[in-house]
Amino acid sequence: SLVFIKTTQSKLFLNQLISLLFMLYMVAACKAVPISDLLDRASQRSDRLHSLSTMLTRELDSHFPPIGRMIMPRPAMCHTSSLQTPNDKEQALQVSESDLLSLARSLLRAWVDPLLVLSSSANTLPHPAQNSISNKIQELQEHSKNLGDGLNILSGKMGPAAQTMSLLPYRGGNDLGQDKISKLINFQFLLSCFRRDSHKIDSFLKVLRCRAAKMQPEMC
Amino acid sequence: MMKKFREVILLLLLLSFVPHAEGTRYSLPGKPALTRCRSPEKETFTCWWEPGSDGGLPTTYALYYRKENSETVYECPDYHTAGKNSCFFNKNDTSIWVNYNITVVASNALGSTFSDPVDIDVVYIVKPNPPEKVAVTVMEDKGWPFLRVSWEPPHKADTRSGWITLIYELRVKLEGENEWEMHLAGQQKMFNIFSLRSGGRYLVQVRCKPDHGFWSEWSSASHIKVPDYFHRERSVWILITVFFAFIFLIVSWCIHINSHSLKHCILPPVPGPKIRGFDKQLLKNGKSEDIFSALVVSDFPPTSSSNYEDLLVEYLEVYIPEEQELILEESKDLHDGCLKPKGSTFDSDSGRGSCDSHTLLMDKCGEAKDDGRQTDQDGSQTGSEAQRQQAAWEQEALTYAHEDMISPDMSSGRVKTWPSVFSPLPQYSLSPLSQPSSLETAKQHCLSDSLFPPSSLSSYLTQPGQSTKEYVEVHTVNEEDMVLLHPVPVGHSHGKGCLQTHQGEDYSKVNGVDKNNVLLLQREVMEEQVDMCPCENKDANGATESYCTSSAQKSIPCIHTALPVQEEKAVNGYVDTATMFPLPIH
Repeated sequence: SLVFIKTTQSKLFLNQLISLLFMLYMVAACKAVPISDLLDRASQRSDRLHSLSTMLTRELDSHFPPIGRMIMPRPAMCHTSSLQTPNDKEQALQVSESDLLSLARSLLRAWVDPLLVLSSSANTLPHPAQNSISNKIQELQEHSKNLGDGLNILSGKMGPAAQTMSLLPYRGGNDLGQDKISKLINFQFLLSCFRRDSHKIDSFLKVLRCRAAKMQPEMC
Repeated sequence: MMKKFREVILLLLLLSFVPHAEGTRYSLPGKPALTRCRSPEKETFTCWWEPGSDGGLPTTYALYYRKENSETVYECPDYHTAGKNSCFFNKNDTSIWVNYNITVVASNALGSTFSDPVDIDVVYIVKPNPPEKVAVTVMEDKGWPFLRVSWEPPHKADTRSGWITLIYELRVKLEGENEWEMHLAGQQKMFNIFSLRSGGRYLVQVRCKPDHGFWSEWSSASHIKVPDYFHRERSVWILITVFFAFIFLIVSWCIHINSHSLKHCILPPVPGPKIRGFDKQLLKNGKSEDIFSALVVSDFPPTSSSNYEDLLVEYLEVYIPEEQELILEESKDLHDGCLKPKGSTFDSDSGRGSCDSHTLLMDKCGEAKDDGRQTDQDGSQTGSEAQRQQAAWEQEALTYAHEDMISPDMSSGRVKTWPSVFSPLPQYSLSPLSQPSSLETAKQHCLSDSLFPPSSLSSYLTQPGQSTKEYVEVHTVNEEDMVLLHPVPVGHSHGKGCLQTHQGEDYSKVNGVDKNNVLLLQREVMEEQVDMCPCENKDANGATESYCTSSAQKSIPCIHTALPVQEEKAVNGYVDTATMFPLPIH
């Protein structure tokens, strides 16, 4: 009877071992989603993000007071201008993947609060296309959030260097201005800053995508 | 002082004269304008401007720019690479994600004019060169040709590193046409075009665009000629023609084989006029007066008849060959008796279909049978009287057999079952008054009619003396081979009798369902029956005369079958017993 008990115990142990191995295999298999696919998806989202911002600036520009263009703040006044980004192709191609991803994530993170300000201001924007602009801002927020989540997952796969982020706080306050002109000007200014930053994010991700897609040279 | 004054006046005169003498006025140069700036690969860029009027003097143009974060003003490094009135910025001078503030200055001897400043960011002004090495070849896919177009990105654009992402578009058209067919190819560098015209000459062009930029110019057109594949088309047509010819032959042969039946199907034969006693030859040869006179039958419309309902009469022609057979072989005889007269004057074209219904026929047969029973039931009567009655019955039957169907004769004593359905029965009681023998038979008919439960044929049940209903069953067969019948008490109705009745009626009311899923039907009793007498259970040898229905208030359930309930048949409490109780039951 002792032998009998021992065999059942060993059987139980064997079963447990098998199930544990199976679970490990499943976890490993699930983790093996190719990074190139993730990057492809992320770059598609960033592409859409930038297209939206371009459409917004054009829409706003269609009914913009001429004097506003004169007193528009300079792009150096964007709250993300302190972040050091490559200025030409050689510099950009020398940046490591982790740094590229870190830059993209930092820029994206920096726009969470300003997008809220834009969204609230869009409801009372003194502009004929106010409704369309407001809708697009909403869409911007959605895409931005989705992209942020995706990049977080990506950074988890790419090592600790990719996890670092630079903080770029927005200090513009919740109000874009009291009068109509300053409201429009500040709105347009913020959008122009966002347009550039979204283009940066898009470019970095597309460079990353081609670097990861060594198996699929036809993509790049 | 006078001298100086004279010099000044002279100078002024000279100055004023000089331009008049030349015929033109010098002025500052017109304002130049920056028309566009473009970058083909996001690494260099070029700006072009439009000069204004030159003001008559040789004018020079200079481009100055200032970068975003600094105040340093630089001048254009290269005025020549990109052509006249342009400024080319090479890789070293190009920074991206940096705003350039660019101004063009036109200068001549008199001064300079500044253009309006323009802010540009290189990443927003990308317009690549057209795709290169566009190759078009004709390929085949299962015998059908198609064009395969392949190309390469412009050599300056760095797509391998992902610095630029290009999407492509191509357009195709036939030589000589005006409409281009556009195809968006996405990021791929190869495209197939199908649906080509055989022997056509095509032009193909490709262009590209960065993900956020401007479309390039179209590449130079590539010419291609699609070879003729007409012969392949023709062979297909020949095959199709042969196939259809084959099918046609088969179909026509089939039609020919079945031409006769098809003719019947499509053009059914028109039934000819079949008027009894009418000469068809008259139609073909005779004159119209002859035809009409032939149509007019002497006794139609019947003027002698006073009762129009007789015209609706269908006569029961019961042919009883022998009196013994009537008694002993009831069922067999019934069929013969019922069917024989039909056979004699049966005509497919006459309109008596409804009269030939099975149920009604059985009614008639049943009536005849019951009459036979009734005659035997009169056991109290002498045998001679029974025979007399039977003889009278037989006589009448024989007279029926020779009856002319078209002109009904109103001789009395005939069994009329149709009137029993459609008209009240007083005529029964009236007509046989003239002849005592027929009175008996009429009474028998009355009695036989009474065998039909009053519920079914309600219209005629309002007769006095018509209040009997009963069932008979075989009691014994006596030594003379006569079946002695006796009425069945109402409470113990016989299955067969009920069966008869339920053959005659179409509907009975459902009283309820008992626990064995047996339908309890109730015989409807007419309220109008005046002469009611309370009905008690009849004995087996009950009298023949005083039959009466049960009281109107009491409904006697007729439990005679054990058929299971069929749910869908009962509508408003009425059950179509004709379908519920198919023959035979037990």
